[in-house]
Amino acid sequence: MKENRLRTLYEKEGTKKVLASLLSIIIGLFVGSIIVAIVGFSKADMGGKSVWDGIRLIFAGLFSTGRDASGVLTWGFNPTSFGNMLFRATPLVMTGLSVAVAFKTGLFNIGAPGQYLMGTMVTLMLALGIPSEVVHPVLIWFIAFIGGMLAGAIWGAIPGLVKAYLNINEVLACIMTNWIAANVVTWLFDISNFKNVTENTKASEIYKTTFNGVATSKMGLDQLFPGSQVNGGIIVAIILAIIVFIIMNKTTLGYQLKACGSNRHCARYAGIKDKRNIVLSMAISGALAAAGGSLYYLSGNTEFYWSTYQSLPAEGFNGIAVALLATNNPIAVIFTAIFMSMLDIAGLQLTNLTAYNEYITDVIIAAIVYLSAFSLVIRMWLDGRKKRGGTENAKPADAAKTDDDDADAEASVEASEPEIATEGGEQA
Amino acid sequence: MIFLIQQTLLYAVPLMIVALAGCFSERSGIINLALEGIMIFGAFVGVLFVREMQGNEVYTAAKAAGDWVTLQGLELLAMLVAAIMGAVFSLLLSFASINLRADQTIGGTALNLLAPALVLFFIRIIANQNTLQMATGGAGSWFMLKKSTFGVDKATEWGFLKEVLLNKAYLATYVCILLFIILSIILYKTKFGLRLRSCGENPQAADSLGINVYRMRYAGTTISGALAGMGGFVYALTTANCSSNGDVAGFGFLALAVMIFGNWKPLNIAMASLLFGLFKCIAAAYTSIDINGDGIYALAELGISSHLYRMLPYIITLLVLAFTSKSSRAPKAEGIPYEKGQR
Amino acid sequence: MENTPEYVIEMLHITKEFPGIRANDDITLQLRKGEIHALLGENGAGKSTLMSVLFGMYQPEEGEIRKNGEPVKINDPNDATALGIGMVHQHFKLVDVFTVLDNIILGAETTKFGFIQRKEARKKVEELSERYGLKVDLDAKVEDISVGMQQRVEILKMLYRDNEILIFDEPTAVLTPQEIDELMNTMREFAKEGKSILFISHKLNEIMAVADRCTVLRKGKCIGTVNTADTNKQELSNMMVGRPVQLEVTKTPAKPGEAILTVENLSVPSKLHKGDAVKGVSFEVRAGEIVCIAGIDGNGQTELIYGITGLEKTSGGSITLCGKNITKSSIHNKSAAGMSHIPEDRHKHGLILDFTLEQNMVLQRFKEKRFQNHGFIRRDAVREYAEGLIEQFDVRSGQGPVTTARSMSGGNQQKAIIAREVDRNKPLLVAVQPTRGLDVGAIEYIHSQIVAQRDEGKAVLLVSLELDEVMSLSDRILVMYEGEIVGQLDPQKTNLQELGLYMSGAKRDSEEGKQ
Repeated sequence: MKENRLRTLYEKEGTKKVLASLLSIIIGLFVGSIIVAIVGFSKADMGGKSVWDGIRLIFAGLFSTGRDASGVLTWGFNPTSFGNMLFRATPLVMTGLSVAVAFKTGLFNIGAPGQYLMGTMVTLMLALGIPSEVVHPVLIWFIAFIGGMLAGAIWGAIPGLVKAYLNINEVLACIMTNWIAANVVTWLFDISNFKNVTENTKASEIYKTTFNGVATSKMGLDQLFPGSQVNGGIIVAIILAIIVFIIMNKTTLGYQLKACGSNRHCARYAGIKDKRNIVLSMAISGALAAAGGSLYYLSGNTEFYWSTYQSLPAEGFNGIAVALLATNNPIAVIFTAIFMSMLDIAGLQLTNLTAYNEYITDVIIAAIVYLSAFSLVIRMWLDGRKKRGGTENAKPADAAKTDDDDADAEASVEASEPEIATEGGEQA
Repeated sequence: MIFLIQQTLLYAVPLMIVALAGCFSERSGIINLALEGIMIFGAFVGVLFVREMQGNEVYTAAKAAGDWVTLQGLELLAMLVAAIMGAVFSLLLSFASINLRADQTIGGTALNLLAPALVLFFIRIIANQNTLQMATGGAGSWFMLKKSTFGVDKATEWGFLKEVLLNKAYLATYVCILLFIILSIILYKTKFGLRLRSCGENPQAADSLGINVYRMRYAGTTISGALAGMGGFVYALTTANCSSNGDVAGFGFLALAVMIFGNWKPLNIAMASLLFGLFKCIAAAYTSIDINGDGIYALAELGISSHLYRMLPYIITLLVLAFTSKSSRAPKAEGIPYEKGQR
Repeated sequence: MENTPEYVIEMLHITKEFPGIRANDDITLQLRKGEIHALLGENGAGKSTLMSVLFGMYQPEEGEIRKNGEPVKINDPNDATALGIGMVHQHFKLVDVFTVLDNIILGAETTKFGFIQRKEARKKVEELSERYGLKVDLDAKVEDISVGMQQRVEILKMLYRDNEILIFDEPTAVLTPQEIDELMNTMREFAKEGKSILFISHKLNEIMAVADRCTVLRKGKCIGTVNTADTNKQELSNMMVGRPVQLEVTKTPAKPGEAILTVENLSVPSKLHKGDAVKGVSFEVRAGEIVCIAGIDGNGQTELIYGITGLEKTSGGSITLCGKNITKSSIHNKSAAGMSHIPEDRHKHGLILDFTLEQNMVLQRFKEKRFQNHGFIRRDAVREYAEGLIEQFDVRSGQGPVTTARSMSGGNQQKAIIAREVDRNKPLLVAVQPTRGLDVGAIEYIHSQIVAQRDEGKAVLLVSLELDEVMSLSDRILVMYEGEIVGQLDPQKTNLQELGLYMSGAKRDSEEGKQ
């Protein structure tokens, strides 16, 4: 009986998270639609029809199959889009995992773009640099993949180290390492001989790994989604997500990391090495982000634009949205990453088929991140609502900071009941 | 040498004003990670405004007649518009972090993602490319103060001071410096400043004395947004030839670092921005810096890779943060959402 | 209710509800002009809520507030100030990095064109401080001045605003007995001048000494108002708790055994300034005795404990536990060597509030073979263990072992920590302010647990700011003043006055409290 009730309660908590995320998504899509509508109606050459097309593509771009002869949008199952969605989801799963792991440890890893770049660089250098006549390509693949992850781990550990030992805000440190990474990558490729000089006009890009015979196995996915770039990378990413889930929830390592994340002081008090765990968490986080870059470029048919010092890869930043939307649950990350890459596809269709462009996708993602910033508050608020009815929690939480006066119980009521405070604020 | 000083100033002044923006927000208790995004937004709005106004006959006529006073007026107007829109944009952060008590870091990040996305979306639609430029001419021909502006012949020797301050300079720079001084005085000498700072240190105390913490924090972030928006436009005007491309290359984050390095104090921030401005200037223009005027570009001839120079500001920021972190003292209540009635 | 102008402030039938709890239930409090009125109640009785209502922080569901017989509406602290009500909060509402002067004028600044007129303000504050003998250094930053002076700053804040109704919330908690006497005199002087004083406390001695009348609250309800002249301590205490209370801890004389903890010449650096917060302290704690570190808050007790337990690095001296030198050991190894620790701040150090109760129970032990298998946590073993502790120590919570720690009451959180630490069964128990902020029932329980530990032969090192607790619970008292141990006292042979002299640095043992 008791067990049963607990389970339903747990499920409710889960449902609430899903609901909050769905709400964020819907609002985000609406924000995108509104912008499309405003732009469409205010520009003489666009008008209502283009607005309608734009909005439909935002919501269902994945199922778009182009325009027919009369210029009307056509719809249906588009295996290329589906396959590409899974392909593009691969790095997002990894950067999403990266950000999620860091969040669980109380850190905001906005350094994923830099770690992603470092992983990309080392992977490409290994995959292209090890002669395939000597080493078997499959082995090279593994060396390149592991090498990329290691590079990401080291790069992620840097902000971790300065956070743990010098107490520098990890967000600032991450941002600096991002730009440093962008410059390092450009520099090293600039002096390397991996620039694609064989193919004309492609010297600003790096050789595809297939030049060295290295590529991720398709694992039959290309049969399912013909014409797309999909490959086994997505399966590797899913397996990694499951491993991360197990580590975070079932092991002593995960317990330690989460303890440090929830309350660093208390973890220290309990003899857990908080500093080491912060570095470790950032290293894991960095390795995961880097794995995203590795998997993306090991696919064999993607080209890397190496002169990247002025821009950071969007995959890294979008990992933040993926993680927040998944409420840092590694399994949920898989789904939110696929959703994000679906938005990507929609953005591409928008660029190809209408006068709008793919940046609307980024607007939607930003809106979702914005909403996620207080979705936790909204969920807490929902919690507070529910408790009101219950008699079980007659003496509710003291969520507030330590306070040794008799406000202990009362202050906490406030914490779980934000609307009181808000009302007060408006009155004053 | 003159070139070096002027270039440094061009980078240092927006840095300074944006760092002060961060200071106002954090002193009121809100971490404003969105400085970068607000700058991007401000730059876009300002450039767009200039671009639209260029079609206005008042300004076309002024340009044709060489009426530089009117043109400077346009520059100031664009700064004002950028500031207002920056303030409006920052309301998104204020609302989330003050009323909804959201995580300020994530909220700021959202704005940092939103600004370039929105800006690029519109730029692409307006200009059909990824950069928005002035409709005609460039920042130099429209807004730059030159010898000819004051009716002086190009060949005339002006003396060091006048050369540095008035030749090939922008009025915006001086407006920013003036604003910086005024706002610093407000922060320390007025009732408003005292109350604002108390909200960043101990909002419970402020509240118990009848100070409206929410209102003060709104004031802090809004001033912050206005300054950052303006700083974004000034940056675009003076260093990017009055164009906007949805990017300020981490300038907003550098400003945050400057603020931390300056220990949240205006005077130190001013010093720190000069230092950072110098590095940024070296990174951007090392090939054309002639330090002692002998016609030799020493930095370029050192043979150090250009990549290293470009990386320099970021590496130095990291190092500076590392060395000053122990002594730096952030406002105590920053980043902590305030709940009324909580003790 | 009566409604004569003899009352300056009346709070009539105040009811304030929070979800699931009625913090104030029909409470009536009437304050006469020129009297010192005590408000007595346990932690959690609703005193703070009532004061928040008076200051407009909360709006009551029912009841009204009257000033001089006229109903008034108080929406925020500004309204309260306008009515002449001022308060010294238990936790001072001061901005640490501001000067004393800025703190006093904050919120009531005199300005010209928006600029603060500090000179005028300074003159007024100086006059006030002169008149009432409240000595402060106006240009010092608050973080650099003593707690006693901080309290004087708070009092000056009220006087600066010309408040006529002065509220003191637990003002004596941070003071030495001598400072308390001084404060009482100041309060009497205010009352003589016609100011009305509301004195919130749970300390019966002080109420009997200074108050004219006393209103008692219990569990949100008003129990009654009595003249202190017509009552006694026992009666007040019964009113406060609702049952006869054991005012003293019962325990047999200690039978100290061998030394468990030996601290020699220990120094710990300060977080606030360059020097040491603990300066060359030496003492030992033997098996079967409770040694209490007494002193005013901020005299190095916290740092001493941080040094011993490893939360802070030491800068000199040595620590020996059970014959093993643990000076440089990690926190983990120190605790393994035989130390359990009930921390001062249960939210910062004691619990991970977002973890469940069972997860909190194995905070130090999750790596033991019993709770993990090749790095995988054995959830069933953890559950079983936690359930055992919950039952044994009567930890009450909504959902048992899977309750989030955050949702538990303060008393039960503390019980959970004590359960965890006691069950680790180490020769040394370090307990820092273990009863802070708890109600009498919980305090009694915790005291009995600590005595039980002593009787089992454990060495107990207790840090307390509550003088009553120090006197009744300890077998030996060490007094800390400015980072040094200035005296060793036997609670049987000393009294509060003597303890106070040591705490304020006015008196010290010649041999620095060495054994």
